[in-house]
Amino acid sequence: MTTLLEVQELSRDFGGVRAVNQVDFQVREGEILALIGPNGAGKSTVLNMVSGVIPPSAGEIRFASKPMTKVPGYEYAGLGITRTFQNLQTFDDMTVLENVMVGMHTKTSSSLFSCGMNLGKAKKEEKLMEQKAHAWLGQVGLATESQRLAGSLPYGKLRLMEIARAMVAGPRLLLLDEPAAGLNHTETAEMSRMFCEIRDSGTAILLVEHDMDMIMTIADRIVVLDQGTKIAEGTPREIQENPRVIAAYLGTEEE
Amino acid sequence: MKQLLQKWGKGFGIYVALMIVFPFVMPDEYYRSVGIIIGLHAIVTIGLCLVMGLAGQISLGQAAFWGIGAYTSAVLTTKYGLSPFVGLIASAIVPGLFAFILGRAIAGLQGYYLAMATLAFGYIVQIGITEWEPVTGGASGMISIPQVPFFGGSELSMYYLIWAVVTCVLLFSLNLLHSRVGRAFRAIHKSEIAATSMGIDVSKFKLNAFVVSGMFAGISGGLYAHYMGILDPQPFGLHESIKFLTMVVIGGMTSIWGALIGTVLIGFISEGLILLSEVIPGLQGDVDTIVFGGILVLIVMFMPEGLVPRIRSVYEKAQAKKAKEAAVKAQSGERVERKAAT
Repeated sequence: MTTLLEVQELSRDFGGVRAVNQVDFQVREGEILALIGPNGAGKSTVLNMVSGVIPPSAGEIRFASKPMTKVPGYEYAGLGITRTFQNLQTFDDMTVLENVMVGMHTKTSSSLFSCGMNLGKAKKEEKLMEQKAHAWLGQVGLATESQRLAGSLPYGKLRLMEIARAMVAGPRLLLLDEPAAGLNHTETAEMSRMFCEIRDSGTAILLVEHDMDMIMTIADRIVVLDQGTKIAEGTPREIQENPRVIAAYLGTEEE
Repeated sequence: MKQLLQKWGKGFGIYVALMIVFPFVMPDEYYRSVGIIIGLHAIVTIGLCLVMGLAGQISLGQAAFWGIGAYTSAVLTTKYGLSPFVGLIASAIVPGLFAFILGRAIAGLQGYYLAMATLAFGYIVQIGITEWEPVTGGASGMISIPQVPFFGGSELSMYYLIWAVVTCVLLFSLNLLHSRVGRAFRAIHKSEIAATSMGIDVSKFKLNAFVVSGMFAGISGGLYAHYMGILDPQPFGLHESIKFLTMVVIGGMTSIWGALIGTVLIGFISEGLILLSEVIPGLQGDVDTIVFGGILVLIVMFMPEGLVPRIRSVYEKAQAKKAKEAAVKAQSGERVERKAAT
């Protein structure tokens, strides 16, 4: 399988503290790669760098062979990298449908003038956005909530909405930051099934998550971070048996 | 047109009807001029609503764009003899350019810093107009600015010309609100990180909103100059900028209709105060400033979302309650029927 995302010697300092230290890993086409580790291991920091939210202090990120560290954050979506957020970043005063329509921003190009005059192109794009957004709301099971204000939705549904918003433009790589946080067992299971469907339809996933059940069932490979450094990489089975991982992370759970 | 009516519903119909009959139902021709001034203010506040309510960028310098627009058209027509229509086009473009340059310069600023920068810009423009005497006539101003030759340039035809522009600006902004660009503005307002990760170039869209609001203010300024026929720098200062801000906040920052309704409300309150001052001798001078300041404080304390969103949410809640009651009634009715059947 070809490499989609390549991370090399990625480091990030926060005021003298090294949060991420020379981390290497790859995400291949069509796989789910899980990034795990104890609290403060630097998982979210890695995800923020890979999504262009914060620049790395050192190291290189390549997406489909293109160096990404100099690319401005707003170009990531257009290149095919979208994400969800650990602490939800939803547009509360818009409807659920509108939230997802924002995800189509990079697939449309009507100018301000064209939108204000409601010219043919703007109308056509508006229809396309609506159609795609409805389709994805159906996929995540929010079809009946499309006209509700996002601010009035419960937590679990907002997580689903964020996934629809990230998927609607058909990205090549989806970054998920603790998507199962705050969800119950059934919701987590449903979400796991959805992620497998997304992977099978051709979008690779980089998943940061604490829910071990979810990771062990859906991840194709796992990268383990501890205190900013990569300590292991392998299949779920290999990771479960790795003594360093057990010591750093799983061990505390098995006591 | 049919489509538009469907899209904006009854509200738009009521607006058009009120706007058309207003000059005829008011007892005095004086109110035509009141209507004109309200319309001119509305063009500015709708633009301010786009930049402040939608994109979340505070501007304390809107009166400066208004002034630049007014002086651009006034100078071009009075000193260079150009047609007022050419002047009006320039009165949109020149403030737009100023907004573009200012917007580029202060692109990285947020919150208080943005407020301070736009405030400073407002002062600089007002002082600039006052001091550039050879062109602007300085503090004593300009006279005999030509009228817009629109159906004879009477008070009534000016009223309709200006409200036609208000309507265009209103429709443009409403279209924008429910479009890719409007959603990008609103997304930036709520979460710049999420907007960026959806592919929205935050600084570009902020600049766009800023330029559009500057252009709207400029058009209004140009119309103001030709309507008044005389100009001086006094109205284009902080006082007016704050007044615009108050209008937008009262109506509800996040609503385009709110900007319009806030403007009309403040316009009428202004007139009411003038009438009152004839009855109560103590009510003279800058009473309106005190009253508007008071209203602004009360709104921010008790109704921060503004009038229109508040009314809308009360209405929607009432509708939901009604629907619920109807559903309960239908259900209990069904039960009674079933009981009767058994």
